[in-house]
Amino acid sequence: MSLDTSASATDSGATPRPRRWRIASWAPVIVLVALCIIIGLINPNFFSFGNFVRMSQTAMIPLVLGLGATFIILMGSIDLSVEGILTLGAVILSMLVLNGANANDLGIFGIFIVLAVGASVGFINGVIHVRLKVPSFMTTLGVWFIGVGVANALLGGMATRINSPMIRGLAIDRFLGFPWGVWLALLCFVIALVIQNYTRLGRYIYALGGGEELAELSGIPVGRVRIMTFTLAGIFYAVGGILAAAQLGLGNAQIGNGRLFTTITAVVVGGTALTGGRGGVHQTLIGVLIVVVLNNGMVLMGVKPSVQIGVQGLMIIAAVALSIDRKLIRIVK
Amino acid sequence: MVKKLIDHAMNRRVGRRDFLKGAAAAGAVGAFPAIITRSAFASEHPTVVNSIRSLSNPYHATWNAGGAAFANSVGADYVTLVTEGNSEKGIADIKAILAKTGGNCVVNVDPNDAPDARPIVEACKDAGAYVVTQWNKPADLHPWDYDPNYVAHISFDGVPYGKAMAETLIKAMGGKGGIVALGGIESNTPAIARKAGLMQALEANPDVELLDFQVANWSETEALEKTNAWLTQFGDQISGIWAANDGMALAAVEALRADGRAGTVPVTGIDGIQLAVEAILNGEMAGTVAWDPFWQGGMGLSIGYHAKTGGFDPTTEPKDHREFYGKGVIITADSAQSYFDNNIAAEPTLDWNDIWGRVNGQIVY
Repeated sequence: MSLDTSASATDSGATPRPRRWRIASWAPVIVLVALCIIIGLINPNFFSFGNFVRMSQTAMIPLVLGLGATFIILMGSIDLSVEGILTLGAVILSMLVLNGANANDLGIFGIFIVLAVGASVGFINGVIHVRLKVPSFMTTLGVWFIGVGVANALLGGMATRINSPMIRGLAIDRFLGFPWGVWLALLCFVIALVIQNYTRLGRYIYALGGGEELAELSGIPVGRVRIMTFTLAGIFYAVGGILAAAQLGLGNAQIGNGRLFTTITAVVVGGTALTGGRGGVHQTLIGVLIVVVLNNGMVLMGVKPSVQIGVQGLMIIAAVALSIDRKLIRIVK
Repeated sequence: MVKKLIDHAMNRRVGRRDFLKGAAAAGAVGAFPAIITRSAFASEHPTVVNSIRSLSNPYHATWNAGGAAFANSVGADYVTLVTEGNSEKGIADIKAILAKTGGNCVVNVDPNDAPDARPIVEACKDAGAYVVTQWNKPADLHPWDYDPNYVAHISFDGVPYGKAMAETLIKAMGGKGGIVALGGIESNTPAIARKAGLMQALEANPDVELLDFQVANWSETEALEKTNAWLTQFGDQISGIWAANDGMALAAVEALRADGRAGTVPVTGIDGIQLAVEAILNGEMAGTVAWDPFWQGGMGLSIGYHAKTGGFDPTTEPKDHREFYGKGVIITADSAQSYFDNNIAAEPTLDWNDIWGRVNGQIVY
């Protein structure tokens, strides 16, 4: 699996890893398969093609957001601006394509503008974080609120209905049984995988997460890598905004609510370490599927609503506990 | 630095003494208009203040528009405070405006959480301002315990409207079949009441089966996901969807649309937001209830304003004018067009002096 190649970027492919760690890295896949079997036994409808399509619709947005967040977390940073950029993207999109509030009809150009906005906000994240040396936690927290605030100001609290058939088509029109949005999310996944495994940026991101001082000493332009990664993440969040707007058929300032929690959960459950340097976008895919399957399954199995949110919390703690190699960590803060 | 600039502009040497004289004159001119505004404040209109959760949802945005319309009608200064879901901020902002106006203001507040109402009311009483609360307050906090400053509390009984929507839904389904229901935050008073109304309607209609009830926490995203899962679980058994608010109802419509069933499965919401009324007009929703936030934002201020300016004496009003349920407007396919024309296409015209016109009984705890 590509995990090994990625790990070798920091370890320079030295000693073979102990067996216990191998099992830990496969744990998310095992959990996913086990979940599917259990839920399928209780409600056979789970395995129907229709349900796979619906789960893929639910998974497409967390997946795209998770791809962006994975790169940030791989560097050992955190990005809380997910909801801010997503909301801003969705709101701007709803105002640029054919909609119920103004006469704009930019179509595909609207999408490019939204991607550019996502990239710029991500770039700002990176510049503030690197040049002003503000921790990523605080920078992105601020940008989160700024993003939602600007979205608010743009719409004045109202919702704009999207009438553009192209945007709505992402959620409604299908190819091989799956909505176009799902294919778009998969395309993003492939792009992220290529960036992670076959580009210099991808290798640098792992190097930064593995040990930033070492990376800097070996001549990696740390600041530039960080800014580029935040910009890249911003683009992914903007894609998430486009998909969210397509799915609900509207843009409003609340469209991002709750997305951050799902995103971070998916990344962590997939096995990407919050300390940086370990994991990857392929694991985030598994993490997203676990979260989506579990949520879908809890409804199918008739689990009480009050229990559902608690199960998600337990899942995060369990996932982190499983993924940590305790031999490597002496101090926990 | 400033001195240098002035030198430059006047193109001559200015002595220190001259400079100070000039500064004093400028200061006096600056202070003068401030004094004028202040006296205008005191003698004429109290400032009217709306404190609401946020401006990021259509409901509170319309509330704010109603407040502005009322302030405009009497020529008072209008201030909007936003809690952003933060109780501390909500209370602190109200205290700040009380201090700024010296208590010469009227506050119409939708407290972020029920316990917040007490400190808000106490602060207003101490400052001499008049206050009207809406939706949230502790059951044992009563306007008549804070005479005359705590003028009234307005709420809406979710039970009859939750029931009315369930009945509208059942009618649209032809009186039988299976329904699924999306609830609000489990511990939230309106969510509990609306669900109770749904349950009453179901008891009266034994041919209708409640397939499942799930909490989607007022969130569109969660409602979409839950509805998707239901479409798997129950498929064609679903012949109607009841939602505790419009946002969740619209998300359910989108889930149905992705399944090619929008417009064939009736959906009801509550709140009366614009997109829901439009969905009723194009046949994708069966009904909603409008609380008329425009009325809430304007009339809450009007009631406080009339009390503050001596229009009526709160202490002599009956209890059902101090703690009352307002009236919601039920919108179905029959009434959607006229509601849209009168309330959405045009800014509604309300008689702000008809302060007890929508009293719908005293609140029961």
